[in-house]
Amino acid sequence: MTAEQTVVVVGAGHVAAALVKAARRRGFAGPLVILGDEPTGPYQRPMLSKERLAGAGESGLWLLDPQWCAANDVTLRTGSPVERVDAATSSVLLADGGSIPADLVVLATGGRPRQLPGVEGDRIHTIRTLADSDRLRERLAPGRRIGVLGAGFLGTEVAAAAVGRGAEVVVFDVAPVILARGVGADIGTAVQALHAGKGVQFRLGQGIESVRATADGVTVTTAAGAETVDDLVVCIGIEPNTEVAVRSGLVVGNGVEVDAECRTSVPTVFAAGDVAAHDHPRYGRLRVEHVDVAQQQAAAIGKTIAGRPTTFADPHWFWTDQYDINIQGLGLGGIRPDDRMVARGDLSALDGTVFWLRGGLLVAAATVERGEDVSVARELIDLEIPVRAEQLADEGVELDELLDSEEVNA
Amino acid sequence: MSEWVHVAELKELTRRKKKQVIVDGRPVALFLIDGEVFALDDVCVHKERFLTKGTILDGQVICPGHQWKFDPRSGRPEDQPGCQATWPVQVSDSGAVLVGTVPATPRESSGLEDTPDVAAAGSERP
Ligand SMILES: Cc1cc2nc3c(=O)[nH]c(=O)nc-3n(C[C@H](O)[C@H](O)[C@H](O)COP(=O)(O)OP(=O)(O)OC[C@H]3O[C@@H](n4cnc5c(N)ncnc54)[C@H](O)[C@@H]3O)c2cc1C
Ligand code: FES
Repeated sequence: MTAEQTVVVVGAGHVAAALVKAARRRGFAGPLVILGDEPTGPYQRPMLSKERLAGAGESGLWLLDPQWCAANDVTLRTGSPVERVDAATSSVLLADGGSIPADLVVLATGGRPRQLPGVEGDRIHTIRTLADSDRLRERLAPGRRIGVLGAGFLGTEVAAAAVGRGAEVVVFDVAPVILARGVGADIGTAVQALHAGKGVQFRLGQGIESVRATADGVTVTTAAGAETVDDLVVCIGIEPNTEVAVRSGLVVGNGVEVDAECRTSVPTVFAAGDVAAHDHPRYGRLRVEHVDVAQQQAAAIGKTIAGRPTTFADPHWFWTDQYDINIQGLGLGGIRPDDRMVARGDLSALDGTVFWLRGGLLVAAATVERGEDVSVARELIDLEIPVRAEQLADEGVELDELLDSEEVNA
Repeated sequence: MSEWVHVAELKELTRRKKKQVIVDGRPVALFLIDGEVFALDDVCVHKERFLTKGTILDGQVICPGHQWKFDPRSGRPEDQPGCQATWPVQVSDSGAVLVGTVPATPRESSGLEDTPDVAAAGSERP
């Protein structure tokens, strides 16, 4: 190679921040450029429904330190929407007509909230950006009644922040139990009771028939009746931002299709994070919306471009913090209906773990307040150590001793 | 000046490899890793969970809160901001574990603590 290659990251979010750090740590020497359409550099998106929604502090919010960027030849261009990648001329074209040289490109455009068709106005909210979160925070105040549509992670975090700020909250979902799609009904039920204890109201198990926003409020109608709230927060998932990929001629399905190394159908273009439908060596093609996955995929690309081809093959991991309760999941995307579920501890008391077993091997785990079980689960899955359901359920068995027994056998 | 306090016996660490002790009013985590005893702040620089509630894997300490991996020697988390204070440790011939009352390396904030003052003072979670 005669000259160092230039890498351009499209989208200034979690992937971008993790990628430039990983590339430099692994010794990649070429210029690194980040092009983002938001007015700021990358920030901690999870805080938007947690710390930042509860209060306006900036502590820990920013992901890249300008001084570090300056010292490491990382150029950040904010307010610069990208039109498309032109691999043939090794360049990235900006919406304003400009063009940036790019030997390698990492597409990291994330996703945008799904909207309710035809429902809009000042009282309707979604949360993806800092501006969204700041606008919503002003509405979460005593005397206001806030509706939340969708009882997944985002919706339940918003509910927790809203009651924390003294607002009244009612959460709607067609599912009968909150979070059940994410972490299973047992943990969902326990966390639902926690929310109810804090005053959150639930309207579950009923499809939404209509949502009508007027100048005076938002009326949500289900089979059980109509309900009016001051503001409605729509938390019904995201759509991947695939436009740049489509305009660049990349293969796109449910996200930009990438191989195990996160390479798209064009070898000089990678994609990672919420926008990428990754061919995971363990689970097959999956598009996952977790910070840790975005960071790990970015780290793998960082190593690859620094000269050590690396795949992302770990089980997907995520967390959510609600009130002072910590919930984590590992490998949940890979669960099959006939996997055996085993509970450890007391889930109803918000202190336990659920494991999923297949043929004597662990495939997944979800926990409330027992993150240490997840660390061990990660090793059990990674090393494919056989475990029995009785051992996992028995609190007399220390989980980390299941790892030791392997070492003795090995 | 640093003094040494006798906080535990080595044999208390042989089975579970970890133990919380209090040094100067501050929770300190002892870990026995590959035959060596390490002492770090027990309160995680991220969000104040206890490292002693976590696990030891491949010589690293994994915090139960959000799975940050700490190097027990430096107190640094892998790829994350901040640093746990580390404390000087001596193990006597009779197996007494002594910890110095002044950190060997200081705590550095991660900027992400829920209650930075509490974490810095090292008091327990309420
Ligand atoms: C409120 C909230 C809370 C969350 N909480 C958690 C949590 O607790 N745990 C967890 O694991 N995950 C959580 N997530 C998910 C997590 O934030 C995402 O998985 C993560 O941000 C994905 O990183 P990314 O880099 O792929 O995308 P993003 O961080 O979204 O970054 C993509 C960036 O690209 C920009 N962009 C898009 N198109 C263009 C274009 N054409 N040109 C230039 N720039 C463009 C976008 O504006 C954006 O800034 C949360 C998400 C939200 C919104
Ligand atoms: S509290 Fe330790 S990693 Fe979050």
